[in-house]
Amino acid sequence: MSHALIETKFFRPSPRPGRVARPRLHDRLDRGLAAKLMLVSAPAGFGKTTLLADWLAPTDLTGGAPGRGAWLALDPADNDPTRFWRYVVAALQTALPSAGEHALTLLEDRQTPSVEVFLTVLVNELGKADGDTILVLDDYHVIESPAVHEGVAFLLAHLPVGLHLVMATRSDPPLPLPRLRASGDLVEVRAADLRFTAEEAATYLNGVMGLELRPSDVHALEGRTEGWIAALQLAALSMAGRQDASAFIAGFAGDDRYVVDYLVEEVLQRLPADVQDFLLRTSVLDRMNGSLCNAVTGQDGGRVMLETLERDNLFVVPMDDQRHWYRYHHLFADVLRGRLLDEQPDLLGELHAHAATWHEHQGDIAEAIRHFLLGAQFVRAAELIETVLPALRRDRRETTFRGWLEALPTDVLRARPVLCHALAGARMSTGEFGGVEELLDATQEWLDLGGHASAPPGGQIVDRDEYARLPGDVAVHRAGIALIRGEPEQTTQHAHRALDLAGPDDHLTRGAALALLGLAAWSTGDVTTGHDSYAECLGEFELVGHVSDVLGCSVALGDLEVVQGRLSAAVRTYRAALELADGHHTPVLRGRADMHVGLAARYHEQDDLPAARRELSVSRELGEHAGLPQDAYRWRVVMAAVREAEGDIEVAIDLLDEAERLYTGDFLPAVRPVPAIRARTWARHGHLDAALGWIKQVGVSLDDPLLYLREFEHVTLARVLLAQHERGVASTDLARVVRFLDRLLSAATDGHRAGSVVEIQLTRALALQRLGDDEPALTALGAALHLAEPEGYVRTFVDEGAPMATLLAAAGRRTSSPYLARLRSALATGRGTVSVPALPLPRHESLVDPLSNRERDVLRLLDTELNGPDIARELVVSLNTVRTHTKNLYMKLGVTSRRAAVLRAKELDLL
Amino acid sequence: MDEPRATDATGSDPGWYRICVQGRLAQRWSTWFDGMSLSPGPDGTTVLRGPVGDQAALHGLLQKVGDLGLILLEVTQEDPGGSGRTSAAES
Repeated sequence: MSHALIETKFFRPSPRPGRVARPRLHDRLDRGLAAKLMLVSAPAGFGKTTLLADWLAPTDLTGGAPGRGAWLALDPADNDPTRFWRYVVAALQTALPSAGEHALTLLEDRQTPSVEVFLTVLVNELGKADGDTILVLDDYHVIESPAVHEGVAFLLAHLPVGLHLVMATRSDPPLPLPRLRASGDLVEVRAADLRFTAEEAATYLNGVMGLELRPSDVHALEGRTEGWIAALQLAALSMAGRQDASAFIAGFAGDDRYVVDYLVEEVLQRLPADVQDFLLRTSVLDRMNGSLCNAVTGQDGGRVMLETLERDNLFVVPMDDQRHWYRYHHLFADVLRGRLLDEQPDLLGELHAHAATWHEHQGDIAEAIRHFLLGAQFVRAAELIETVLPALRRDRRETTFRGWLEALPTDVLRARPVLCHALAGARMSTGEFGGVEELLDATQEWLDLGGHASAPPGGQIVDRDEYARLPGDVAVHRAGIALIRGEPEQTTQHAHRALDLAGPDDHLTRGAALALLGLAAWSTGDVTTGHDSYAECLGEFELVGHVSDVLGCSVALGDLEVVQGRLSAAVRTYRAALELADGHHTPVLRGRADMHVGLAARYHEQDDLPAARRELSVSRELGEHAGLPQDAYRWRVVMAAVREAEGDIEVAIDLLDEAERLYTGDFLPAVRPVPAIRARTWARHGHLDAALGWIKQVGVSLDDPLLYLREFEHVTLARVLLAQHERGVASTDLARVVRFLDRLLSAATDGHRAGSVVEIQLTRALALQRLGDDEPALTALGAALHLAEPEGYVRTFVDEGAPMATLLAAAGRRTSSPYLARLRSALATGRGTVSVPALPLPRHESLVDPLSNRERDVLRLLDTELNGPDIARELVVSLNTVRTHTKNLYMKLGVTSRRAAVLRAKELDLL
Repeated sequence: MDEPRATDATGSDPGWYRICVQGRLAQRWSTWFDGMSLSPGPDGTTVLRGPVGDQAALHGLLQKVGDLGLILLEVTQEDPGGSGRTSAAES
């Protein structure tokens, strides 16, 4: 599907000559330039669009508009976030030609993580523009998508200076209006403001329409219509050319029919039959030109008819300067559609089918599909959807095709396996599993019938490749469902099936199946299969240039290599991924940050803390958006380890607390839970009560059956119990702990998890030493060292402190090696005695709206004992000025008190 | 986009609703309002009555009321064909 934009959506209606001037409303809108949002909220026919178009038009009096105007008329298709923002940027570019150029490339790139990333870049770009730009979003009430609303709320919260947002809508949008109102950032024009006053009604009826009505008649009309502009317009039309205006008004005023019913009847009655027919038939169109009207009415002369309607003020609105495209006034269109539905309901399908065919010939497939759906021509709609599906997928328009597919009746959907399957995938991608299996079953059923050899009933195969991929894709989806249900065996079965079915060149299907295979194996502790599947999966994604997916796989692959005790392989994995990312020109590539965190963890293990810190800060500087979902928590876990090694235990614990809050599974098995990591830190530093509390909380015991998913917790349990013995407050028999470790050792050895073996052996060695079994202790230590030496483990040993020093000394008396010497010297340096200057705390995020120099001065003084007047004296400004700065500061920091402001500022490194 | 399905906890039963708007609405609007019956109510009002599939359908109907610029006076759930369960707002 082409990226062509519909130009008419950017067209700002030009003011009609002789319109009613509304200075009181223009004044209010001018005031709105000091606010963030101007909301023009009123039902149809209250003149919202006209008001805004007039306000934005350069006037003879002032010689200029209030700012550069950018106009966007929204329609229901804009509920697709990608489409919505593409149009917003295009609208802004009509005012600021280079606006959002960089942001737009992000929006169109599959590797961009989220709309927020795009918006952040857009906000920064727009912040650089000079002067005022006013963005009008007309008909905002058509937007129902929470994703679009969230994006708009984000934009509002971070609105750059100079950009003003204006919304015309029939209903208040779900944005934080009360908060905006309270902070003076919302200016509203509502129905009560928009109604014509008696004076405005008189100006319109007598001045503009030249009806020469008596004041009492004007009064009666104004009263009956309650200043509703659309009704007054209809009334004026009904009276044009009548001699008996007063009698008409009396009849109208004395009737309690719905005003529009009454007046449309009057207007239509006075029109020739062919015009009435034209109006009814073309009312199914949202936009129309002469040719389209001809297609729908089956007559010639559409263009002339449209021009006539415009001349006679019959509620057509030009949508461009060339008078090529028109639309009906919304209210009038609805009334016409209501009549059509009542009078000729059978005609509806036919009219929409004509419109759809016309659009199809023009190449506007989306509009053709919309009309086929509206006309209940579902088979035709389904056929077209299938043709544009690959293109829509490429353009990230999932919302659009999902909306269409949900509108299709089940029988039509079931006859088209590609669509069935696409709907299943679309639902799954948003975490909805309702009806997914039925859809997959339907696809499967069709495939089992040998359907892939022939066309589905009622259509032909549109895309042969798409059909060829189906069997494999269905199996991949089933594997995904099984994984989420925690059924690794079924996951593996379906994933293998997918690999059997997928063609050798179908890299995406193969990649997905291999990743699922890897995850299933990993969660059962089979890290060899896990590793090999992920390594292969990475290759598949690399072949098709899905760099972000390669980075995602590298996180898992690195984790698995660490469990395998292959630390240098993990480093190679991260470095290779970074090299690949360097060759890719996407500005913000998700997953880069994670690679640096992985490297930092390896440097930490080698006891190269400055290098670990360096990698962590590189990761941080790349920004949140360069991180996969787990990056935020992983960064803190590694930083906590670094801080602990530097002796800042409290900071380390705080970081782990944060990590726990930020943890997200992201489909990876939770093999190193943050609470267990924290319990180990507590145990190492004598916080035994806290560590024992953890045991209670997670409910681990020495009698547990061994599951790989709990291996880390089980080793942690052994360590906590051992720490208890070291402190002399033990309640558990240490021999039991050793037997538990023996069981763990044998499971890890069987699973080829050398990384786990190093840790378990080392813990066993310490426990045996404690029991006085020196010989077995040294044997265990020897086994750990044997595996650890080639991979350069350091911190794992050093973190054990004094008991480990004793053990290593004993080992040193028997043999000597450079590795042993290195470990002993690292231990001698001692934990906590390494003096490293305290670095700033990690940033959660940075301020989108940076502080001004003056605000920084005030902030600095808020972190003192000075009171408000003192601060004012210190800065040589008035107390009011200090208050203003303080208020802005609070807002930018998102706090409500001085104490909170200082705390937040410290978190953000602003103090 | 995600319309509640028939199995949702809210609005699972198609209920009967009574929607009262200001002004006398012509019979012809019945089709527009998904086949609801239209009858004159007290004081120049119109009462729409009929089955409504679920909450999403009800919101759709109310939006149609808004599209025509009609003033919405009251919405009540009621027994099929019968009188409203709550009638306090009518008096």
